[in-house]
Amino acid sequence: MSYAILAIVVPAASFLVLALVWPLRHTGRPAAWLSTAAALVSLACAVLALGEAPAMGAPPELLTWPWLVRGGEVIADVGFRLDGVSAPMLVVVTFVAACVQVYSLGYMAEEPPAALGRYYTWHSLFIVAMGGLVIAPNLLQLVAGWELVGLCSYLLIGFYWRKPSAGKAAVKAVWVTRFADIGLMLGLVLLYVQTGGFSWEAQAATSAVAAFLFLGVMGKSAQVPLHVWLPDAMEGPTPVSALLHAATMVAAGVFLVVRCWPLFEHADTLLLAMSWIGAITALVAAVTATVQTDIKKILAYSTCSQLGYMVAGLGSGEMLGGYFHLTTHAFFKALLFLGAGSVIHAVHSNELGDMGGLGRKTRTTMVLFGIGTFALAGLPGLSGFFSKDLLLEQVAHAGQYGPLAILLFVAGLTPFYMMRAWCLAFLGEPSPKAAHAHESPAVMLAPMAALAVLAVGLGYAGGPFGAMVGEPYTFHLTPVGIIATVVGLSGLGLGYAKYGLGKLQGLEVPALAAVVRAAPVDTFWAQAWSRGLLPFAKAIGWFDRYVVDALVNLTGWVAIVAAERARTIQTGRARDYLYAVALGAVVVAAAGTIGGISS
Amino acid sequence: MNGFPWLALTVLAPLVAGVALLAVPAQSRGTVRVVSVFSTLVSLVASVKVALAYDLAAGGVQLRESLPLLPSVGIGWELGVDGWGVTLLLLTAITIFAGACATWTLEDRDKDFYILLLVLVAGVFGVFVSLDLFLFFLFYEIAVLPMYLLIAIWGSSKEVKRLGPFAFLWDRLDVGGREYAAMKLTLMLLIGSAAILVGMFAMVQGSGSSSFNMLEIAERGVPESVQLWVFPALWLGFGTLAGVFPFHTWSPDGHASAPTAVSMLHAGVLMKLGAFGVMRVGMVLCPEATVTWAPLVGAVAVINVVYGALGAASQSDLKYIVAYSSVSHMGVVMLGAATLTPEGWNGAVYQMFAHGLMTGLLFALVGLIYGRAHDREIFGMGGFAKVMPGVAVFFTLAGLSSLGMPGFAGFIAEFQVFMGALAAGHWVWALAGIVGAWITAVYVLRATRAIFWGEGPPARFHELSDAKGVEWVALVVLGTCLLVFGLWPRLLLDYIDVGTLQHLAAFGGAS
Repeated sequence: MSYAILAIVVPAASFLVLALVWPLRHTGRPAAWLSTAAALVSLACAVLALGEAPAMGAPPELLTWPWLVRGGEVIADVGFRLDGVSAPMLVVVTFVAACVQVYSLGYMAEEPPAALGRYYTWHSLFIVAMGGLVIAPNLLQLVAGWELVGLCSYLLIGFYWRKPSAGKAAVKAVWVTRFADIGLMLGLVLLYVQTGGFSWEAQAATSAVAAFLFLGVMGKSAQVPLHVWLPDAMEGPTPVSALLHAATMVAAGVFLVVRCWPLFEHADTLLLAMSWIGAITALVAAVTATVQTDIKKILAYSTCSQLGYMVAGLGSGEMLGGYFHLTTHAFFKALLFLGAGSVIHAVHSNELGDMGGLGRKTRTTMVLFGIGTFALAGLPGLSGFFSKDLLLEQVAHAGQYGPLAILLFVAGLTPFYMMRAWCLAFLGEPSPKAAHAHESPAVMLAPMAALAVLAVGLGYAGGPFGAMVGEPYTFHLTPVGIIATVVGLSGLGLGYAKYGLGKLQGLEVPALAAVVRAAPVDTFWAQAWSRGLLPFAKAIGWFDRYVVDALVNLTGWVAIVAAERARTIQTGRARDYLYAVALGAVVVAAAGTIGGISS
Repeated sequence: MNGFPWLALTVLAPLVAGVALLAVPAQSRGTVRVVSVFSTLVSLVASVKVALAYDLAAGGVQLRESLPLLPSVGIGWELGVDGWGVTLLLLTAITIFAGACATWTLEDRDKDFYILLLVLVAGVFGVFVSLDLFLFFLFYEIAVLPMYLLIAIWGSSKEVKRLGPFAFLWDRLDVGGREYAAMKLTLMLLIGSAAILVGMFAMVQGSGSSSFNMLEIAERGVPESVQLWVFPALWLGFGTLAGVFPFHTWSPDGHASAPTAVSMLHAGVLMKLGAFGVMRVGMVLCPEATVTWAPLVGAVAVINVVYGALGAASQSDLKYIVAYSSVSHMGVVMLGAATLTPEGWNGAVYQMFAHGLMTGLLFALVGLIYGRAHDREIFGMGGFAKVMPGVAVFFTLAGLSSLGMPGFAGFIAEFQVFMGALAAGHWVWALAGIVGAWITAVYVLRATRAIFWGEGPPARFHELSDAKGVEWVALVVLGTCLLVFGLWPRLLLDYIDVGTLQHLAAFGGAS
């Protein structure tokens, strides 16, 4: 347990030092070293914590402090919960974070010192926020961490804040994810109202809680139609995309479902909806990825597609496949992004058109990127193969054949677009920009190699992983797995034939590219803002100024005008006042007389 | 009534300093500032001392001080604090200390300004510790009236387009001018005061109490027939100051016209007087009527939250954005109050505190930006983070608290209000509150990007520089408090919870 605590406290200390001691932060490289050292220590602690973590089913290790009270009773704690679900995820997070921080020492080397310090400050904060999310003892702390990783995402997407497109993308990410968080918040509050606390193990919670929570998951884990922020988030530095927008933060939604599995596992209707939403997301994003020309956008849509895979897998009613795919995906997708970063570092462009023929100059990157590609493609023996196989088998087992068919199709599409990216970047004739390309330094290649080892080997850890999570698993080939493998290999082959060998030029779907370029979902949300919410707000502003406030002004005006009218009674002529006195006397006398008669 | 009168010290320190300043020549600017800031520091220390001296385990009203003033009619210097009072005392002390620091650079008639500010804040302190209704009202008026002069003399004006069905009124009333804003604010609040005064006397009379002491009134109980009309009078009377729709329109104009420290204090603390009044006087003394009226109070609060947030989203003038956001956030306070649940009330009082710090910080920053750029139109700005990085950081902090980011005080407050709303069975209230928080994220981030991010700043903003000297004190104090009370809510929540328990007892115990 103490290791799990250290895994979060050490980066927290690093963040505090960097945030408060600005002279240190402004020196750049020392700040980077401090943060990176903290991340490596954090990784070591997380690995040790994994070793001593109790598997699911055994009582978890808990350390909590009371945080919120109501009527003298504690209603929410904060603290640490080490168990079979949180421990592996903590390792995933710290491993990728450490790799990315080391890699950034090379990738971000040319940034000004103050900017570099800021970059690493946010990275330290990210480990704390994401670690706090993963290790949370209850849903409230998980949601707090959830929002904080969203904050890190905002700050890191907007790292190049002078660039208008980066600013736009950062704000858009928060707008969209927090829109989805309306559901998350409702679910959280409803959980409290139904159970009197924030535990995901509470029996009294209904499936409505899970349904609301899932709305939040759709935003964070970029499910259609709330996926529109993720491709834009590629405005951030590439290592950030690898860590936040591929491996860990976007997977927080999937992790939430895994973590709160007792709330989800019996919500049958919701699970079915999750399967469909996940499958559709996987399909739409994969199709979109096939026509992208920006290497980061391809990977972004691929992430989106794989998140759809995980959500669909969870929709099967068994969570091991989705969770396993989350972990394997984290490593090979981070590897792919860092590989893309290495390429971008070499040619100073994201566009595939500016690459080509890089294999001759950057052989190591080509190989490592290739390993990531094959792992993602599900090449037998690599990690992606095992997790995808398990996931698909669980969907098949649940009898959800519609989503299954879609997922199988995507299993062929994925290798196709990845092969396209790999071929266009590394094979063929070099573009003018690629002519001066150079291989990245060792400080960038080493973390990629570390990720590559896991991208290859993690699939064989399925047994222990299943034992940890409390769902026993042994690999066995099923018909679905064989179909998926055949489809995947055909996708690889088609992709290589078309983009590597230049054959099959007839294989084009022009209409598809046109639709993707028109970005219908993105356009819809843009319109919802510019033609919906903004004009509505303007109308409210107008109404407030020119109707509500005008009524207040009208009251004032009436008072002034009435006073002016009333003032004319005060004529200032003695004659008028005498008339008034006489009139008054008559009235008084008359009243007296009448009163006298009646009495 | 034993021990040092910390409450009296808190209230009187600024008042005494204000009077003492009369004797200081206006030229000796340093003395004026030091005396003012020192007196607010005394109040701050004293209020922290009050918090430490308050016995949480015992609860109830503590640190009583009593001195008969007019025994024949039952009016007395009756002071004492409960858990809510401690909280709001701290808020006031922190905000005025920061406000006095933020005014450091004022040069126009600064002595007069400080005197009025100190008198005003003595009134605010007084309201939060008064047990005697008459004293409460007296302090309330002391807090409200100096505002007229502060805005009319030191304020700024804004061009308002003549539009809409009532455009003919514009010239006559000089809409948008600072005198107009000051007049509107004062008149609307005074109409509210009239309603409060009537309600107050009716409660004393109706309960048959021998004094104006709230504890005695509560003990004897106000007859339900009286409560039923007194509560709405108090709700609208105090509610005007809390920005309750549709009596909120003094706030955008008033806060936009007011000078920095006045906006800070007014939005940060004075609006809380209104909400505190509704809860402490209206709800606690009229429990039966509150139950009857709560659905309406909640429904109007829902309008406040969403309408205020949309209003803020429609603005491009920085001060108006912050002012409308106050209307929205005060709606969250009233929403929590209307739930009549422990969670909701804890949230409401926490929101008073969190919003006070947050909006105080925002207005301080707006003042800094306006003082340098002489412009408030956000879409003409851009890239300000390049030249004022410190201001950008603190603006972001305040904005994050405003949109309910966990780790900041605003989240603790809003979240409990949502919990209370749903616990009371009001889905629409909870949803409105959560949607309001989302709209807040929309306009806060939009404004932050427009002001601080991007290329720039444009050439005409050549005089921009970061905060300096004493100005930093205001920013650091408020920003730190937002984080401390967001990360460790029990520092405050324990006090609030004790107060809530005590006051909810009037409703037959915790519901």
